[in-house]
Amino acid sequence: MELTGTHTLSQPPEIVWAGLFDATMLAESIPGCEDLDQTSDTTFAATVKLKIGPVSAKFKGDVELSDIVEPQSCLLSGKGSGGMAGFAKGSARVELRAENGGTILTYTADAALGGKLASLGSRLIQSTANKLANEFFTNFGEVLSRRTFSNKSRQE
Amino acid sequence: MGPGRVVNIPLELRVNGDDVAEFVEPRTSLADFLRDKLQLTGTHLGCEMGVCGACLVLLDGKPVHGCLVLAVQAAGSEVQTIEGLSESGLVADLQSAFHERNALQCGYCTPGMMMTAHRLLETDPDPDRATIRRALSGNYCRCTGYEAIVDAIATTAARRRTEAAQ
Amino acid sequence: MTDRAGHIGTPHLREGALRHLAGRGDFVSDQQLPRMVHAAFLRSPMAHGTIVSLDLDEARASAGVVAVFTAADLNPRCADWTSQLDHFVGMTSAPQNMLAAEEVLWVGHPIVMVVARTRAEAEDACDKIFVDFEELETVAGIDVALNADTPPAASGVDSNLCYKNELKTAGVDDAFANAALIVEGNFAFGRHTAVTLEPRAIIADHDPATGQLTVRHGTQTPFQFQDVYARHFGVPDHKVRVIAPDVGGSFGMKLHVYNEEMATVAAALILNRPVKFLADRLESFVTDIHAREHRIHARMAFDADGTMLAMDVDDVAPIGAFSAYPRTSVVEGNQAYRLMGAPYKMKEYRGQLTVLFQNKVQTSQYRAVGHPIACQVTEALLDRAAAELGIDPWELRARNVVPDDAYPAESATGYRFEKLSHEASLQKLRSLMDYDGLRAEQTALREKGIYRGIGLATFVEITNPGVAFYGVGGARISAQDGAVVRLTPGGEVHCAISVTEQGQGTETIIAQIVADQLGVAPSQVKVTTGDTDATPSGGAAWACRGAGIGGETALRAGRKLAERITDIAAALLQADPANLKLRDGAVVDRGTGEVRLTLAEIGRIATYRPDTLPGGVDHSLSVAQHFAPSGYPFGFTNGVQAAWIEVDTETGLVTLLKHWVVEDCGRIINPLLVDEQIRGGVVQGLGAALFEECLYDEMGQLLNGSLADYLVPMAGEMPDIVISHIETPTEDTILGAKGVGEAGTAAAGAAVLNAVNDALHPLGTRLTQTPMTPARILAALGIGQA
Repeated sequence: MELTGTHTLSQPPEIVWAGLFDATMLAESIPGCEDLDQTSDTTFAATVKLKIGPVSAKFKGDVELSDIVEPQSCLLSGKGSGGMAGFAKGSARVELRAENGGTILTYTADAALGGKLASLGSRLIQSTANKLANEFFTNFGEVLSRRTFSNKSRQE
Repeated sequence: MGPGRVVNIPLELRVNGDDVAEFVEPRTSLADFLRDKLQLTGTHLGCEMGVCGACLVLLDGKPVHGCLVLAVQAAGSEVQTIEGLSESGLVADLQSAFHERNALQCGYCTPGMMMTAHRLLETDPDPDRATIRRALSGNYCRCTGYEAIVDAIATTAARRRTEAAQ
Repeated sequence: MTDRAGHIGTPHLREGALRHLAGRGDFVSDQQLPRMVHAAFLRSPMAHGTIVSLDLDEARASAGVVAVFTAADLNPRCADWTSQLDHFVGMTSAPQNMLAAEEVLWVGHPIVMVVARTRAEAEDACDKIFVDFEELETVAGIDVALNADTPPAASGVDSNLCYKNELKTAGVDDAFANAALIVEGNFAFGRHTAVTLEPRAIIADHDPATGQLTVRHGTQTPFQFQDVYARHFGVPDHKVRVIAPDVGGSFGMKLHVYNEEMATVAAALILNRPVKFLADRLESFVTDIHAREHRIHARMAFDADGTMLAMDVDDVAPIGAFSAYPRTSVVEGNQAYRLMGAPYKMKEYRGQLTVLFQNKVQTSQYRAVGHPIACQVTEALLDRAAAELGIDPWELRARNVVPDDAYPAESATGYRFEKLSHEASLQKLRSLMDYDGLRAEQTALREKGIYRGIGLATFVEITNPGVAFYGVGGARISAQDGAVVRLTPGGEVHCAISVTEQGQGTETIIAQIVADQLGVAPSQVKVTTGDTDATPSGGAAWACRGAGIGGETALRAGRKLAERITDIAAALLQADPANLKLRDGAVVDRGTGEVRLTLAEIGRIATYRPDTLPGGVDHSLSVAQHFAPSGYPFGFTNGVQAAWIEVDTETGLVTLLKHWVVEDCGRIINPLLVDEQIRGGVVQGLGAALFEECLYDEMGQLLNGSLADYLVPMAGEMPDIVISHIETPTEDTILGAKGVGEAGTAAAGAAVLNAVNDALHPLGTRLTQTPMTPARILAALGIGQA
């Protein structure tokens, strides 16, 4: 199941790029994220609480950034076990392009569900994944703005 | 609240004409409460999501899916299960018609069918076959193929109309 | 053959139905026992993988948890089970045990069993278990399974081939070479499942003081499970009691060994208290046996005047990661490719069967095993030939069925038929449905752009199976049944018999048959079934054997008791037993009908005053009798079905306007019960033809595990079904009855498939895949994608 999207962010690609590798930023952006620890330069361990259709689950999993071409593109992949609920995995190819001082961020993502989530929620995966992806990038943009603004304020 | 602490809250309601006072977990469904706590096992579970109709009970006179109502939502209400409905005698003619027509086989869907049939004939004393089939479309049966059930309900409706006319 | 007596053939009502109408059914899912605990399972979310680590500490500490079991705890208590039938030469399957130890083989494969005070608490604990997996290559889909490079779905086998076989008559190649017309088709039949309204339920209890294992099991076949539990858990079988009370639907699904039920027994043996497992609806979709997935390429050869000469069938039947136990997953395909063309005079046949493993849940026998597939392929190709040859479909069938006076006969695949009535059935159907009238109506409506179709399907049905089914293959599945019939001290009758009741009316027909032998009313005969402690051992319910085999058992036992009673009466009256008979609850003079002694008197004397009987008279009022079918290996029945439907070419929706069945099941014991069995069976067949399919993705994930997404037939979509009968009794038994339980399902799908294609014929398109969903119908019409 594939989905694509485009977001416009007011910060330049370098700032956006740095945000993608920042554990605190990711923790605040990932919907339902309860915990996020950086386990290496490019990997994180996360605990995320999600509801997909009628199934609520706490996912324990890993997020990894790979195929890194700074500051243009990378591959974000995540895989989480939801215990009794099943598992969810997905990856998103993220591309950044400078425009008018800001960044156009495009992503192409795919997601797969397994176990109970697939049996009960497969009809909803497209819409849920869309919603979650949107939430992630919207959150990401907001946190980025807040940070940049507060940095700026401190600078002034 | 720490892990492993079960919270029970008091629940009072009337079931089949009797006052009931019990403690339940908030998450307990009305169907589970009736079956497990009160041993009224005539109400059956088939899907736990309101599709199959096996768990239909009357809540303040209206059929509801016991699996979709929390027990605590029925506080202060009147619940009638198949056991109570049967004892009331209100469905005696439906029961006879089902029996005569062999409109049940394993019997698992039958209490739900009784609930739906009872409600249908209360609101529509002269339903045609298509109307009966539509009314039954929330009650899953795997054994009978439905036709005998439709026949039994149609027969009961006709008998009631005859009696009313006399 | 005996003369027709009072109760056989009459529509007696089922006494056993009354309690269900009052909500007083006694299903295992309803039962509560003292100190009972509940099981839930943590299951594999992936179709194929290895378990790397399990974190159980939080689960063990969870509220209400009594025990947490892994494979290491449970599996050593149970001997592995391996699916095998010797007559499927070369079949292979990996040994199985209760919980996955290292390798998970399908989504839903149980890994951890949690036992807790309540089911909710058991599930709460399961929520706290995390398993680390390493994914292995998933085998999902026929082409993947056929590919020799694909690794095996299970590490215990070498490849994804479970079984392969070819049947071939000597002249089949010549028949095709010289045929005037060959029609062919590629068919796909969707995997579907039983969806019994009561899911699987079991309560196992063990008393360490006596070593007694008592299992309350919602199953059709308590004796098979008595044997399975005894042998696999090492308990002598006289210490294993299996009770099958009310069962909320079975249809073959509840015949098979499942991991969860075995684990529940193991848990009871460890915990020494009642342990209950009740599958919820999701678990049912994910772990009940699935059935009937086939991909078939078939050809049919005709000569110029429409005589069917031969069929050539290539049947690929994908199953699960292992074959089911103890009845195998091969029987479905075996019956499908052997039943092709069975009603017809066709002499030549080639059939190839390939059974493949996949990382999906196991498949096995489900109502009408293989029959719907054989019928759909045969009947669809016949209709295609009829169109090509310009012969009316009814006419083509009438020309090609085995004539009613041509028996005994044998099919090209080796099935032997005692005596069937295809011609008479076709004639009866034609007038019953007003075939000519419907054709005229169809033509008139087509002018107005309304597309209605008529579909016919001739079928045979396997009933009354002998040992050829399982016994000769080495499986401990009984083909015989036994009954103990006794006269009570009060002069009533009790019959304990090994056939079982799931609502089809077995107990009622047994009462009718015994009542007939003893000259009493059926209400005076109490029938006990479904308890291995209370009845003799026997085959119970499967493959439509209750009436034909169970009935014959009851008849012979009843006659034996009648003889005994007559002998006792003769001794007491100093009369000749030949001058006495039983009638209306008494022993009467055969000539005058004068009452000589009531049964109540005989009961009283034999029970309380045997001293008053002349010496040497056997005063036992209990007799036992077993019966196993001999003669024909199967008691075939036959019939023909027709469907009248309308296709909405804008939405793809099919309206089922009406359905007809003409059925010959031999001597009918209770027409009321028989007709409702047929109706229920038809609707199950209609479900598979139009709605039901278990959908998987390429990773082996089941995508529609709820009643919202897996569509079952509901009342609003089903037609009225008109039924008529022909009775050709079997000479193999005194009773002459054959079975009928699966007949409806055998041909309903074929009738509808043909009807839809008949409706779409003017539009130049056809379907060869079921279920015929609106999307598939529209795709065939060139609209949208399937």
